[in-house]
Amino acid sequence: MDSDTDQQPIRVMVVDDHPMWRDAVERDLQAGGFDVVAVAANGAEAVARFPAARPQVVVLDLQIPAPNGVEVTAEVLRHDPSARVLILSASGEQTDVLEAVKAGATGYLVKSASREELLDAVRRVARGDTVFTPGLAGLVLGEFRRLSDPSAAEVDQPQLTERETEVLKMVAKGMSYKQIADRLFLSHRTVQNHVQNTLRKLQMHNRVELTRWAIEQGLDEE
Amino acid sequence: MRPAAGAFCVLVMVLWTGTALVAYADPARRRPWFLGLDLLVTLGLLVASPIVKGESFNATVPGFWVMCALLAWAVRYHWQGGLLASVLVAGTDLLVRDEINQTNYGNTFLLLIAGPIVGFMCESLQMMAKERDKAQRAALAEAERARLARAVHDGVLQVLALVQRRGAELGGEAADLGRLAGEQEQVLRTLIRSQDAVSSSSESAHAVGDLAAALGELGARPHVSVATPGTVVELPAAVVRELVSVVAACLDNVVVHVGAAASAWVLLEAFPDRVEISVRDEGPGIPAGRLEAAAAEGRLGVSESICGRVTDLGGTAELSTGPFGTEWELVVPLEAL
Repeated sequence: MDSDTDQQPIRVMVVDDHPMWRDAVERDLQAGGFDVVAVAANGAEAVARFPAARPQVVVLDLQIPAPNGVEVTAEVLRHDPSARVLILSASGEQTDVLEAVKAGATGYLVKSASREELLDAVRRVARGDTVFTPGLAGLVLGEFRRLSDPSAAEVDQPQLTERETEVLKMVAKGMSYKQIADRLFLSHRTVQNHVQNTLRKLQMHNRVELTRWAIEQGLDEE
Repeated sequence: MRPAAGAFCVLVMVLWTGTALVAYADPARRRPWFLGLDLLVTLGLLVASPIVKGESFNATVPGFWVMCALLAWAVRYHWQGGLLASVLVAGTDLLVRDEINQTNYGNTFLLLIAGPIVGFMCESLQMMAKERDKAQRAALAEAERARLARAVHDGVLQVLALVQRRGAELGGEAADLGRLAGEQEQVLRTLIRSQDAVSSSSESAHAVGDLAAALGELGARPHVSVATPGTVVELPAAVVRELVSVVAACLDNVVVHVGAAASAWVLLEAFPDRVEISVRDEGPGIPAGRLEAAAAEGRLGVSESICGRVTDLGGTAELSTGPFGTEWELVVPLEAL
């Protein structure tokens, strides 16, 4: 499955304000054959170094000195939409994680994950896959439930298909993509696509919201 | 009748009114000696009344002006000061008259009532202001403490996660240390979440609990992962307690039948009309017929008790089991609560 071995090593940037962690993650990534093209200790450094380093994957701690992880996610993806952001968080601050995903992050991992899990997550995120924890799936599911609440009368809320909801629910229950594929008689790739679609809808909605907000504030007239 | 003396008294009153206005404007100048002087001026003018206006006068020279000193005393020394000043003023007023009619009696009565009551009200107001200031300071200090705690907690979480990770890689005794660090990390994370829940819901009624936060605390158990919608899910506190203990019973079951190292997943979903909770493990599942056999023997199994407790809440509990593991689906409609 891994086709990156014969290609160029994946370029990664590590953003974390804890030197211990930054070094540990950098060491692990280098040992795993990745090319760590830049590190940053805060949001300002991350945004400043991103354009020159052009990483494919940004491994990002959410709790960093300003601008925070959510803003950094939005900023780097605005610069280079083909880049991928993997959130590596210690505190599990739920709302922050959801905001980062809305801003375009496609992976989330808690820091207690093992080295193999981290390397695997970076590889998968670089391939364009999504890396979910059950907790994040629960948050996304809750967000869609809120958006589809009839009392929040909006016309263009994103809706999940029945299949997407089913898949997301299984992820939230801790099932792996393979288990879900077996249970639903789908291919691994199809399950992966369903999960990606849910994230895409959430990000699209976020963009629509931001645009509407900007128009309401009169920012489009400049 | 002495018109010149009368004019002098009025001049004294005008000047003293100006002096008092300036003096009382600054709290630092509201000294006992000045308040005493204020009262003495008032009493002096009362005493001067028979001299200025003749023996059988109707109204005293200061008239209702006496209220000013009296109220100053009530404001400064509360009901005690108000009472003392009103007794002195009313007493002097009665003493200098040669006869006392019903109007004098009525005015005296009003003076004696006004002093202590105004004093009492001032005391209450000042106390409330003090308490409000204290509460505001406490709230500010609490917010600052929480902010500092978040920074410290974040650092501790980072280190615990790192120890856990490196420990697992090093193996041996370090792996044990890492495992301990991992357990503490989960405990601390759960504590932080439950503290957040307390501070965000402290304003709502006591009879309401947050099911999401309460279930989140179960995530402190080893190998248990809890997924919630990320918002407050408010239900009656008793229902929250019951549901948490039912889910805890399901998790205990996993430990007993699958093993202490088995992973389990809890998912809470909140709909406008119901809540759904799923508890899943990847054990061997419950062998067919075991539940029926237990029921036939008259033993109330754990499963029975789980179903019963959810039914008591007006909901349903369904068990699906097989080689993929065991999953409880608890559904509780909200209108039943």
